Amino acid sequence: MKVYEESGCFDPHSLTDCQELMGLPGATPTNCHNSLEDTLTVSSYNHHHHEDASAALDMEPQQHYLLDNTTNSHSHLIPYLTQDLPYDQSHWERFNVVPSSSSPEAATAAAAAAGAYTPTPDLLSLFHLPRCSFLPNPSISFETTPGSPSVVYDPLFHLNLPPQPPVFRELLQSLPHGYTVPADDKDAAGVGGLYHDGDNGIIQFTRDISMAGRAKDRDKAGKTTKHFATERERRVHLNDKYQALRTMVPSPTKNDRASIVDDAIKYIKELLGTVRELKILVDKKRCGQERSKRLKTEDAASAADAGDVECKPLGDPDQCYNTSLRSSWLQRKSKDSEVDVRIVDDEVTIKLVQRKKINCLLFVSRLLDELQLDLQHVAGGNIGDYYSFLFNTKIYEGSSVYACAIANKLIDVVDRQYAAAPPTSSTSL
Amino acid sequence: MGRRKLEDDDDNNNSKEFKSKNLQAERRRRQKLSDRLLTLRSLVPIITNMNKATIIDDAITYIQELQKTSQVLSEQLLEMEGSSEESVMPMKLEIAVAQHDMKKCGIKEEVKVSNIDGNKFLIKIIVEKKRGCFTQLIEAMNYLGFELSETNVTTFSGAMLFSSCVHGKYGDTLMVEHIEELLSEMMRSMKTSSQSAIELGNTN
Repeated sequence: MKVYEESGCFDPHSLTDCQELMGLPGATPTNCHNSLEDTLTVSSYNHHHHEDASAALDMEPQQHYLLDNTTNSHSHLIPYLTQDLPYDQSHWERFNVVPSSSSPEAATAAAAAAGAYTPTPDLLSLFHLPRCSFLPNPSISFETTPGSPSVVYDPLFHLNLPPQPPVFRELLQSLPHGYTVPADDKDAAGVGGLYHDGDNGIIQFTRDISMAGRAKDRDKAGKTTKHFATERERRVHLNDKYQALRTMVPSPTKNDRASIVDDAIKYIKELLGTVRELKILVDKKRCGQERSKRLKTEDAASAADAGDVECKPLGDPDQCYNTSLRSSWLQRKSKDSEVDVRIVDDEVTIKLVQRKKINCLLFVSRLLDELQLDLQHVAGGNIGDYYSFLFNTKIYEGSSVYACAIANKLIDVVDRQYAAAPPTSSTSL
Repeated sequence: MGRRKLEDDDDNNNSKEFKSKNLQAERRRRQKLSDRLLTLRSLVPIITNMNKATIIDDAITYIQELQKTSQVLSEQLLEMEGSSEESVMPMKLEIAVAQHDMKKCGIKEEVKVSNIDGNKFLIKIIVEKKRGCFTQLIEAMNYLGFELSETNVTTFSGAMLFSSCVHGKYGDTLMVEHIEELLSEMMRSMKTSSQSAIELGNTN
């Protein structure tokens, strides 16, 4: 209250003083229009004082005073002032309501003031400002050095930064709790409002967040405790979903949300590739079967040797046009091993990296025999702590292995052997 | 979870309720996450609402669906393989082809061992390429107590060249000739075992 007294502007008992200070005559509504320029400049000055004043004080009583003491000369101040300060939406509504209910002069004055503000872009956006941020806790300290010529606030208002977030952040910085979204924040959230996810300490300015809230979140009547409870539930629920997603992925890495989503993306792409590959294989096989059946009947008819059937007779008129080249690529990672399998048509390239402990070559080659892969080329050896090998193989005719199977089996075998082998002391070379 | 700390842009802020140590990093992190969620959303043919929770939900459902599809297809493939009339090219055919090729190019089977340093040897083997011969070679190496440091295998014209730098795991140093002898013997036994297998196949 002291500050107000000093400024002499909002002393409810001496509004006339204020008038004198501003140098305005007891203006009629019409006068307001004309003297708008003056009032604007003066009011900005007053506003600054007001800012300082409000810095440490609860705004409500002042607002109330203003309401009750709406005079012609001051009415234009009211909308201007209320725009700049982060009032609770209810207060703002009260203001909106009040001019109409109070003297018609005040109403027209306010309307005139509102209308008159349109040419000035600065102030117009100030109109919007309150709609975007509503804080239930009106006691906001702006942490300005009181008594300064309020240079601090000039940039805020007169620059009228389109990004509301910075303003919000400054407003939030003094909030005691993290939960500042008031109950009736539907509109604000829709405009792109503020949302605080207190668990992770994140402020997010997305529409999605508001829509993501469950129905009961939005219908809440503003009880902070109820809001807290459902908000926590929602977060827990969401975290559970992330964990569930993580379990589905074959080789999950880090446990943070971005990595989980990343792994999921890679896995989905891999699955799509596997499905495509399998479809191609099934088609090929079906074609091959049909062809062989046809050949057999033909051969039998022609009394030729109908024994082992060659897979690709040339010049077959009904040959399935299976010209789709099968290609797939997979990676599997485990704690100590890494497997990379690429298949192009019938050539399989396998890269294996494993921490040096066992002679993995033996197990791998056994597995390759099992999978009916013909070794063409092998290269690799000891690199630091690891074994690294590259295998170029060819799929034997008639076998239909697919990348996923190879990769999975390989990493499985290698890991099992690695685990089974007793920990050996590193042999000195 | 994390307590944020604000940067002091202005004068000293007395009420230090929330501070973000690095606002930029936090923003970038959030941006990264939302970008990835967007990608995920684009991949998944979801039907429900577009909000964070349902993206994850639908992704889970989609993954399960894809897994099921791939399983069905692979089972189908397995069935077809079982009932398939095709047979894999018989071994004898392969071997015959291999032998023919090798003779044509004048490649001879060979075992060569050289001592590099102490217990280290360089082993070079040329052998006729057969199914599973690589496995047998590795088993032989294992049996001799060799650890392969660098291995190179390549195939050409039905022949396989195995070249490896090995070192003896066990203490006793083997003589070069000794190793060569052992290896040649093993290769011979490999050959005979495969021959007998072929014969078995023939009788069937």
